Amino acid sequence: MSRAIPLSYTLRSVFQRRTRTALTVAVMALVVLAVTVMLSLVSGIRRTLVETGEADNLIVMRKGATNDGSSMVPIEAYRAVRYFPGIAADPVTGEPLVSPEMVVQPFFYRQDGGRENVLVRGVRPVAFAVHRKVRLVEGRAPRSSSGEAVVGRAVAARYPGLRIGAEMRFGRRAWKVVGILEAGGSSFESEVWVDVNDLWSDANRALYSGLRLTVAADADAAALARRVAADARWALEAKPEIEYYREQADSANFLFSLTVALGVIMGIGASFGAMNTMFAAVRSRVAEIGTLRALGFSRRSILASFLAEALVIALAGCVVGVVLAVGATLAINAALLGVAINLMTFTTATVQLRVSAGNALFALCFSVLLGFAGGFLPASRAARLSPAEALRRRA
Amino acid sequence: MIHLSNVSRHFRRGPDVIKALDRVTLEIQAGRFVALMGPSGSGKSTLLNILSGIDRADEGEVEVAGQRLTGLSEDELAVWRARHVGLVFQFYNLMPVLSACENVELPLLLTDLSRPERRRRAELALEVVGLMRERFEHLPGALSGGEQQRVAIARAIVTDPDLIVADEPTGDLDARSADQVLALLSELNREFEKTIVLVTHDPRALRWVQAIYHLDKGSLLEGVEATRATQAVEQTLGVPPRSAAR
Repeated sequence: MSRAIPLSYTLRSVFQRRTRTALTVAVMALVVLAVTVMLSLVSGIRRTLVETGEADNLIVMRKGATNDGSSMVPIEAYRAVRYFPGIAADPVTGEPLVSPEMVVQPFFYRQDGGRENVLVRGVRPVAFAVHRKVRLVEGRAPRSSSGEAVVGRAVAARYPGLRIGAEMRFGRRAWKVVGILEAGGSSFESEVWVDVNDLWSDANRALYSGLRLTVAADADAAALARRVAADARWALEAKPEIEYYREQADSANFLFSLTVALGVIMGIGASFGAMNTMFAAVRSRVAEIGTLRALGFSRRSILASFLAEALVIALAGCVVGVVLAVGATLAINAALLGVAINLMTFTTATVQLRVSAGNALFALCFSVLLGFAGGFLPASRAARLSPAEALRRRA
Repeated sequence: MIHLSNVSRHFRRGPDVIKALDRVTLEIQAGRFVALMGPSGSGKSTLLNILSGIDRADEGEVEVAGQRLTGLSEDELAVWRARHVGLVFQFYNLMPVLSACENVELPLLLTDLSRPERRRRAELALEVVGLMRERFEHLPGALSGGEQQRVAIARAIVTDPDLIVADEPTGDLDARSADQVLALLSELNREFEKTIVLVTHDPRALRWVQAIYHLDKGSLLEGVEATRATQAVEQTLGVPPRSAAR
């Protein structure tokens, strides 16, 4: 026996009280907007950092270093490590895929006059083979000892005048931009790559910050990492690149917790708004509730109908909020070229905001929760009304 | 059809206990069209609610359409109401967001009927009560009081119940619409042999019902055959003869 109150009754009842419903939808939408934009930043940071790593790459740093900016690896160590067993070889040259790298963090000046640290990575040509996501989309790679640089797509967009042929100054010299690199939105796009010899010369020191290496397909990465750590000549450690960048993304974890906490606080406010709307709906429809009960509809049907109303309002808020969030993130990306965040290397990376399917799903679940929290008490009050009492109140 | 034995119903209002019904015993045969009358607060609506299963008696026995209502749970009572009772209210109590036809279809949602069959029966019920077809899809707010009450009566008869209870069905209508509604209820009683119990203050109703039960302060005073009562009221009020009103 069908006992559900028709959905058409629920939907039309929602839109009967247009102003109150619209205001509640607006409050819900604002909460969803704020939470979704924050989440898009969280997932942007995660995407930028975590996706920077290659699944089969290891990073070798000094023991205890949290990032390659605070690490030092002697040249001798590089020379020894590159011949450790289990490292993949370049299919063309046959050379081990070990990229020795040095990083510095000079200031760059923004369009608004402010300055911030940018990560400059001194590399050898093998770096392009080890970091397989990185590719030159314009120009060419820097030649050795020529003062040439390639800049990431995000750097070129964020700092004025950084196009091919332009000159930029950092350290003690001028550098000529010869290429633009892309790396699938990862943090490499917020870096400047130069020849490591040039960087040594400019920084007046000859050592590496770290090594990146690709593990051979048939090799055991953990065994290779143990081999690096066990070498008593240098206090080094190796860890998967993915894990390294995941640790770098700790700020995203904190931001996610903060977003959830803010979402809960704002959500409590929004669910009170929904509750108020639903209590008003119950108050104004006591006669309808009494009539439905008198006609034979069960308490459960009444509860479900009023809960459905609250959920419809919450879902409308969700749709409006997510659409606004998509618009807001596109606008932020267009106007500010993404959001700048500080990495653990104290350098700036540009994060593109994007509302992912996961973010939208989170917003949906969040909205359902808000609708349920706001609708349950009024709906159960409606369901508890006895038909005689409800009809008497109307009379 | 309706057997009430020593039925009492009390309401608590603050520290006071109000006896809405006090040991009422009443028997109404199937196929009768009767009125419950009495001053405001006399217990008419409470009695109507109890015999239609909307409310429960605190004491006494209630048996309607062969079912002892006293022992039924809340859910069982709801199912029983849906099958056996049609309800008509003073303020029509239509769902304002549903069309006339959808309102009439509402009780049929509690049956196993298919959607087209529900629709067919709802339209048939609206035709029986004489609502113009072009009004079927109108919302209640777009209908006159008389039309709304016709829709409410169609909703009451659409499940083909044994009993129709009407609580002041003419209370919110003008004289002409009130007469039409009473005539319609009378026709349902005569043509379809429905048992109808009417709560009313309206003296016009006396010309249509077969018996009148008077209540005062929760007690049933007397049951009078309508012909005697009608004559008395018509003499007092000088209302026109029944044939003219129809």
